[in-house]
Amino acid sequence: MQPPLNTVSEDRSPAHPHQRYDTPPRPPAGAGSGLPPNRLILRTVQHVGGWTCLLSGASLIFAGAQTVFPAVLGRAVDAALTGHDWLPWLVGCGLLVGLLILSDALSDLAGGTSTARATAWIRRSALDHVLALGTRSGRRFETGDLVARMVGNAGDAGRAGTLLVRAVAALVPAVGGIVALALIDPWLCLTFLVGAPVLLVLVRSNVRDASELAGRYLRVQGNVATRLVDALTGARTIAAARTTARERERVLAPLSELHAAGMGMWRVQIRMAAQQALLVPLLQIAVLAVAGIEFGQGVISAGQVLAATQYVGLAAGVSSVVNSVARLARARAAAGRTAEVLAEPPAEYGTERLPEGRGRLEFRAVTVRDTDVPVLCDVNLVVPAGALAAVVGRSGSGKSLLAGLIGRLVDPDEGQVLLDGVPLPELARHELRRAVGYGFERPALIGDTLADVIAFGPERPEQPVLAAAAQAACADDFIRRMPRGYRTKLVEAPMSGGEMQRIGLARAFAHAGRVLVLDDVAASLDTVTEHHIRQVLTGALADRTRLIIAHRASTAANADFVIWLVGGRVRRVAPHHELWSEPAYREVFAQADPSDGPWAGGTE
Amino acid sequence: MTPATPWRPRRPHWRLLVDVLCKRRVVLARMYGWSVVAAVPAFLSGRLVAAAVDHGFLTGHPEAGFGWLGLMALSALVGAAGTRQTFLRLAELVEPFRDELVDLVVSGVLRRCSIRGDVADTAGVARLTRQVDMVRESFANILMVTQAFLVTTTSALLGLLTLVPFAVALVLPPLLISLGLFLASLRAMATCQRTAIVADEGIAEAVTTLAGGLRDVLACGGEEQVQAAVGRTIATQEGAATRLARLTTLRTTALGIGAWVPLVLMLAGSPWLVAHGATTGAVLGAVTYVSMGVRPALQILIRGVGDSGMWLLVTLRRIVEAADLPVAAGDVVEPRLESAGFTPTHRPRPDGSALELHSVTFAYTPQADPVIRDLNLFLPYDDHLAVVGPSGVGKSTLAAVMAGLLRAQAGRVLLGGVELGEWESQQLVRHRVLIPQQAYVFTGTVGENLAYLRHDATPAEIDEAIDAVGARELIERLGGCGAHVAPAALSAAERQLITLTRAYLSPARLVILDEATCHLDPAADSRAERAFARRPGTLVVVAHRISSAMRAKRVLVLDGSRALLGTHDELLTWSELYRDLVGHWQPIEYAAASPSPSPRHGDISG
Repeated sequence: MQPPLNTVSEDRSPAHPHQRYDTPPRPPAGAGSGLPPNRLILRTVQHVGGWTCLLSGASLIFAGAQTVFPAVLGRAVDAALTGHDWLPWLVGCGLLVGLLILSDALSDLAGGTSTARATAWIRRSALDHVLALGTRSGRRFETGDLVARMVGNAGDAGRAGTLLVRAVAALVPAVGGIVALALIDPWLCLTFLVGAPVLLVLVRSNVRDASELAGRYLRVQGNVATRLVDALTGARTIAAARTTARERERVLAPLSELHAAGMGMWRVQIRMAAQQALLVPLLQIAVLAVAGIEFGQGVISAGQVLAATQYVGLAAGVSSVVNSVARLARARAAAGRTAEVLAEPPAEYGTERLPEGRGRLEFRAVTVRDTDVPVLCDVNLVVPAGALAAVVGRSGSGKSLLAGLIGRLVDPDEGQVLLDGVPLPELARHELRRAVGYGFERPALIGDTLADVIAFGPERPEQPVLAAAAQAACADDFIRRMPRGYRTKLVEAPMSGGEMQRIGLARAFAHAGRVLVLDDVAASLDTVTEHHIRQVLTGALADRTRLIIAHRASTAANADFVIWLVGGRVRRVAPHHELWSEPAYREVFAQADPSDGPWAGGTE
Repeated sequence: MTPATPWRPRRPHWRLLVDVLCKRRVVLARMYGWSVVAAVPAFLSGRLVAAAVDHGFLTGHPEAGFGWLGLMALSALVGAAGTRQTFLRLAELVEPFRDELVDLVVSGVLRRCSIRGDVADTAGVARLTRQVDMVRESFANILMVTQAFLVTTTSALLGLLTLVPFAVALVLPPLLISLGLFLASLRAMATCQRTAIVADEGIAEAVTTLAGGLRDVLACGGEEQVQAAVGRTIATQEGAATRLARLTTLRTTALGIGAWVPLVLMLAGSPWLVAHGATTGAVLGAVTYVSMGVRPALQILIRGVGDSGMWLLVTLRRIVEAADLPVAAGDVVEPRLESAGFTPTHRPRPDGSALELHSVTFAYTPQADPVIRDLNLFLPYDDHLAVVGPSGVGKSTLAAVMAGLLRAQAGRVLLGGVELGEWESQQLVRHRVLIPQQAYVFTGTVGENLAYLRHDATPAEIDEAIDAVGARELIERLGGCGAHVAPAALSAAERQLITLTRAYLSPARLVILDEATCHLDPAADSRAERAFARRPGTLVVVAHRISSAMRAKRVLVLDGSRALLGTHDELLTWSELYRDLVGHWQPIEYAAASPSPSPRHGDISG
């Protein structure tokens, strides 16, 4: 008899790769507000409808045939032993086997295909939706969490339909087996029903045990990973000190603990496997003993004895139903987490186009709240077309929010922002993007090669435009020193924070529309580079509105006027030299710039 | 034990598997030995059923039937014990393999980062440890499944042979056809599954980039581009998974043929069997052998190998690649003498700590513009040099070349009159120290961190270094040298103070600080740098603040195409760029064109 090998990895089989890449499920970000997981599963099932029907049909036929088979087999054996009506039963058996093979193959085909389709559909929906949400999804879900929801959870959710059908289908032979036992002889059924609970209880208690040990194992494993990543932050130090061997020892120090935890997990598994290797056969033997007596007394036939042992096997499949229900529950939970993303309302765009203009910005009574606390309060402000404005304020004063409002990276909770007289929500998305460009302090660079990164946007500018933008951002020189120049792959380009910043700036310059918002870009630039970029801003790009979040007094001094923010409110709008007389204004720079020299400011 | 296999597959991940099995062939043999015990019930079950029926229940001796069934229960007990032992041996096989893999990954990643000095993809590295576990699981699964199939099927067939010899002829053909079909489908499925797995990872990568850069996607209006790019990876995965589903049909059919057809054939043959003397019990026993021995074993083999096998191979390949990635050409100084395992008989004897650069040119690849071009520099013992220039001009690259981390394509770098490449690795470490901007503090005690470059440092020496650099307050607050530190709990400035103390303590006489004080406040920065200036030996500071240049004896200005060496005052008159860098806030017209010709350009020497 067969030891239940699949327990080695039944539930931890690598068929669900992302499950293990995921962050452990956390309580939903905003419980209660989500699209119910059942609705998502239902919609997915509807989407792959035909395949689901085929899957259900094939699985149920397979389950039915599986349930009937032992009885038919028993009759056929009886017929063969007695020589009565042997051929019809044999043909029946053959046809049933044909049906079994066909329906099993069809159910695998339909299951695999519908899972593939469903997963892709959920992922596409999630992708579209996240893009439509914009930065709002970023505010609700952390990056890693969002990835888990879109990749791992979506994959599990795509499996939900198939799992549901399979779980229902698995019930048929399990229940059918018990019923069949009762039909053959009530005593057989009773024997099974007394023995089975013992089996279930034993299997369950071990599952709990195992998950605890697995938790310990994962912790140690995480410890090794953390040590390794730690060491990577010191790559240059280790390279210079030639301490690779020593670092290896340090990283691998928890390995013996990992080994011990791993062996602990094995021991639980072994206990479980040995119990299962024992329990199902013992159950079969018990039923066989009762069946033997009935057989000796002529109550049942030899074929029925055979059928009875087979039905015990089927009925013992009840434990696998427990398993598949657990897996279904997990898939449903995964669907719930993906559904939460889909439930967030997306940002709406209008259809208006911009009139001629050079980027006049107007803020009308704008308030932005962060969970009810206003972080930007009643901002009324006009930035004339073509002006160079600096935004100044301590950290947390709302500078970045103000900048974000202009390109609808943030939408106000109250009030309106207008660009050349048009309220931003009325603008078509592309119109808005073409008009407003951003240069971030820490840009996320997206694209395959450096040229792609700079070209990233609704339309791809020509190569000369990209090079000119890179030159303006002081990025051209170091890009040319890269292994393959502009065609260097982003992942292979060794870049410092300042260099990445300048690539981000080049991206903004390459697409510059009528408004350019520079968020803190000078933070890790030296004075020469900063000076050069300032020249570009006051020279080649002087025909548009520019808003710069300034950390250095020199940047503020260079602007036409300064928007001075204090605690989310506009304190004053005036030229730098006028504000400089206020000690509180000077203090903003003292805080931001504690250095003794021009190329200070921190490179973080 | 050395692997003694004559056959070594070409692909490294295959070789790894073969090696691990060869290395532990004793454990493997014991596992198979125990699995024979585990298969005792499979061997006996049919016979015992037959005996219980024929010699017990059918002949009116139920007690005899119970006896036979009792034996069957006993054999189940023996089988369970065998299963237990088999699993234990499996654990002994798999756990050390996992340890080896973790070691392989860690060593490989560390080696790569120690050679290149940077590793871009830390998330990928973190993922590696989890991939190791997927390998462990699928490897265990495959070993178990194949082992169980071989032993169980063999036992059941042997049992059948002793019970009803002719029945074996009915069972074997469909079984072999089934296995043949399965093996034939394996290759196509493997390719398909690999595509699916790779596509799956592609999706994870693409979505990670997207999720991390949502703000930028939005700000740039790049939604369509991202949608198309991620959509492509999703479609690839969908296509591969759909193809895989179609191929699975073939596998399922193979399984069906092997699992069900033997029963039908046996039924067809049973009248003949009965006519030739097979008893009722024997027929029941024969069916039991097939339905409880052969069929489940085949099922587990076909489903198990199909699912786990590919994961094993694909993931293992990924790990082997990541652990042993070939290094980009040109930028490497390998610790070749150590790794080759020999000591040269003649090694030039270094003399002093003077650093000389002769016509040094460095570019990251032959096609790229050189970062350093034809640089000549002589730094005598006790010199103090500041390197300044716009960001991205190559200051850190120069520091790495000076320290021997990067090898110049042309020219020579000599320390103590000996080329850096010819220094014995550990001796070089004792003679020069490079402290980069990214301060490296590891989880451990403060003392371990401080003595990282000098294990035999006495407490007095450590104290002296702490005071000199100005780290006293920090160390006290952390709880002294015996206290435990976690890097995440320290600020960037605190980490830098620790690494500065570490560098001060090292025996090296050439100290290169590559913006190593950039996170310190000006006062702390000045104090630390002055401590290094007082320390005997040569000091090179890649300057982050102008004050560093003013403290130095000499300043090297890099502007991308040339280098200029002089004192602070000299450079103020010679170099427009230097004036710009120093330029006190007032905007200076910065013309990128021709800086004024300098008196000593092109030939910089002390």
